[in-house]
Amino acid sequence: MTKMRKAVTATVVAALTTFGVAACGGDTGDSGGGGGTGGGEINVSMTSFPDYVDPQLSYTLEGWEVLYNTYTPLLTYKHAKGEEGTQVVPGLAEAMPDISPDGKTYKLKLRKNMKYSDGTPIKASDFTYAIQRLFKADSGGSVFYEDIVGAKEYADDKAPTISGIVTDDNTGDITISLKDANGTFTELLGLMFAAPVPPTTTLDKDTTNNPPPSSGPFMISKVEAPQTLTMERNPNFKTVKDAGATDVADAGVDKITVTQNKSNSAQVTGVEQNTIDFMTDPPDADRLAEVKSKFASRFRMEDSINTYYFWMNNQTAPFNDVRVRQAINYAVDPEALNRVFGGRMHPTQQILPPGMPGYEEYKPYPYDMEKAKALIAEANPTDRNITVWTDDEPDRKRIGEYYHDLLTQLGFNATLKVIAGDVYFTTIGNQSTPDLDTGFGDWFQDFPHPDDFFRPLLNGASILPTNGNNYSRANYPDLDAKMNELRTKQLSDPGVKEQYAALDKAYMERAAWAPYGNEEFTTFLSERMDFDKSYHHLLFNQDYSSFALK
Amino acid sequence: MTGSVGEIEAPGIPPVPAGVAPDAVRGRSPWYLAWVRLRRNRVALGFGVLFILIVLVCLAAPLWADHVAHTGPDANHITDKVLIDGQEEYVVSPDGTPIGPGLHGRYLLGADQNGRDVMVRLLYGGRTSIFIGVAAALVTTVLAVLVGLLCGYYRGWIDAILSRIMDVVWAFPVLLLGIALGTTLALGGLKIGGLVISGDSVWIPIMIIGLVYVPYMARPIRGEILALREKEFVEAAVAQGKGPIRIMVSELLPNVVSTIIVFFTLNIANNMLLESSLSFLGAGVRPPSASWGTMIADGYQNIYTAPHLTIVPGAMIVLTVLALNVFGDGLRDALDPRAKIRLEH
Repeated sequence: MTKMRKAVTATVVAALTTFGVAACGGDTGDSGGGGGTGGGEINVSMTSFPDYVDPQLSYTLEGWEVLYNTYTPLLTYKHAKGEEGTQVVPGLAEAMPDISPDGKTYKLKLRKNMKYSDGTPIKASDFTYAIQRLFKADSGGSVFYEDIVGAKEYADDKAPTISGIVTDDNTGDITISLKDANGTFTELLGLMFAAPVPPTTTLDKDTTNNPPPSSGPFMISKVEAPQTLTMERNPNFKTVKDAGATDVADAGVDKITVTQNKSNSAQVTGVEQNTIDFMTDPPDADRLAEVKSKFASRFRMEDSINTYYFWMNNQTAPFNDVRVRQAINYAVDPEALNRVFGGRMHPTQQILPPGMPGYEEYKPYPYDMEKAKALIAEANPTDRNITVWTDDEPDRKRIGEYYHDLLTQLGFNATLKVIAGDVYFTTIGNQSTPDLDTGFGDWFQDFPHPDDFFRPLLNGASILPTNGNNYSRANYPDLDAKMNELRTKQLSDPGVKEQYAALDKAYMERAAWAPYGNEEFTTFLSERMDFDKSYHHLLFNQDYSSFALK
Repeated sequence: MTGSVGEIEAPGIPPVPAGVAPDAVRGRSPWYLAWVRLRRNRVALGFGVLFILIVLVCLAAPLWADHVAHTGPDANHITDKVLIDGQEEYVVSPDGTPIGPGLHGRYLLGADQNGRDVMVRLLYGGRTSIFIGVAAALVTTVLAVLVGLLCGYYRGWIDAILSRIMDVVWAFPVLLLGIALGTTLALGGLKIGGLVISGDSVWIPIMIIGLVYVPYMARPIRGEILALREKEFVEAAVAQGKGPIRIMVSELLPNVVSTIIVFFTLNIANNMLLESSLSFLGAGVRPPSASWGTMIADGYQNIYTAPHLTIVPGAMIVLTVLALNVFGDGLRDALDPRAKIRLEH
């Protein structure tokens, strides 16, 4: 999720077309389901406080984890563990959208007689207001909704409202018109950005210190950013459940206090000693083995949909030679990098991560240093001065040091640049930054669609002067065309997932990246928590509705 | 022998006290007297020798790396194995825990999380830390002496301007100023006219540390020069027609050399501490280069499973700084027993 912000580029949405209902998940394994009628108070610790306590503005893992069970969009993601959690289901809307044959019109109907936590009725026009807030408050998520007719005019103050959203508060009808068909729009409607808020919410400002009333199982009762926030059971959530929102889980505890704690080690000790009930971040590698061995009954590793990779500038020497890029792929040892992560990394050599539709496991470049050296000798690049970029978070700094040494072994004159994590991606995403040769990259899904991995990170149109995410400067017209063709189809269409898998292989044959792993997250709970009920959600990290005391 | 009234003593022959044979009297320079005093201070001398030993051991880093450890300071060996008691063990275990210290040759002080030999990094890191300490002390000394001489000799508006600049630098906490400069210069490096230093160069922390300590040394020197400026020998030099530069270099500077030497020694210790702090905070020596500060920064993440990664470089910093401080104090006492020189910040 650290990379979610990076998904905010004009190109991401400008190119999202085609319609269709999401066809994610499919795993029929045990679902979490969450919910419960228990009670009690628990406390949660995070290393970083949510960026915003505002459904339209928040764009970090911590923020979405808190807001997932506070604000309910028209559609939402199923409260379930594993791939089942990537399935889009009706939230405040009565049913999945009715999509026109040309894929440009979405019709939904709001459930009746629902109320926010403060007693204000939930109206269909609140959805329009939420989308308007995205544009007026300069939300990072606004680009996802620019395909709505009239959105740009509204954003540019040329129209008083968004003409492409028509609502009827009496009937609850909501009609959304898109400029082009967009195969990912159903998933986008399930994101926090599109959660309705009442019109009393400030239109163009961050609501962190005074969050809008909630429509989920919890409400935010107190915020002291960036130290602590309190979530309490929403007294009016019954109106949402009574309206038929069966897929929105109920709260299992009465109150959750979320506190920022910058010391990962102190958090681990807190959970071990039962003074903290859950820590959002995984224990550092230093404590991981201890936690695994001593607290196995309340600790487990959790899958997450992400890819860690080394980007290489495909357009400039020496990485404009495919043999050099392939050599790097052969030289990178995913097992070594897994150890840098304390064993929390699933080794990989492809773009799409496990759990993402279109993922088909394959290993095109098994670790072979001799072969890598032979390829470099064959390519014999004249420019061997390379700048390696990474950020200053401990794991990433070590990854950068590993990569620097690897390049040195391959005969390059490498220079390592370690810069602050909060400016790292804006720095390498700015084309005017000198010496952008290669470096650390990662990507966490925004929504469960393979296009979310290919388009922002590898499409030629994503090479932007600033805030770009295509750090490799990958620009292959034939693969871009394939990507554009696939976006006109639904994932549920026959052969689409297979074609995304083929696209993955096509990029890796050209060694556009050097991917090496998918990071795993963790669930680590205090002794008093019901460990079996709590689960990790693939999109929103821990599902707070699944928290329950024993 | 005493001369009678009206007789003039031969020039250059000092009077000899009664009962003392002339051959028993020898001229002793202030430096000789200082050495005698220093030699009597066994503790200071011992720590001075310790510092020299540390320097020599660190200078021998390539020998250890080539002939004992068979690896360089930046070489990663994450998935390598090493033979311990006849059994092969991973340098870094699958759960990320590095091998600890032990008499297994290559990894005498264990490995870090990237499988790098801690002993090799410690020696190379020592070279870096000591080099930065000494080089930054030289930068500080040159600039501080220059400022002190100009301010103290000329006084007036030159003194006012330079002193106010020093005040501005002094107004910032050393560490805060170091972090600000280090972070800023890390990305783009330093470019002043023809002087270009890349962001990852070790000269960046040297320049930063060298600059931030200038006021701490320049002020006392200025004070001494101000006092010396009023002495008769300066008036005599002026009367002889000596120019300002000649007076500063040949008359004033020799009189503050002892102060400079003491400051220089103590400054090295402070510089090493500041370098460690800056490197620990990511604003000093750039990775993957080793310094004792970067080693602590790398190691503290593993304080539970591999405390040696932090303790070993930390102990070296303590030992070296202690040695320099005790030796510096001894040197101060030896050069000028009445002096009250303190490097405060």
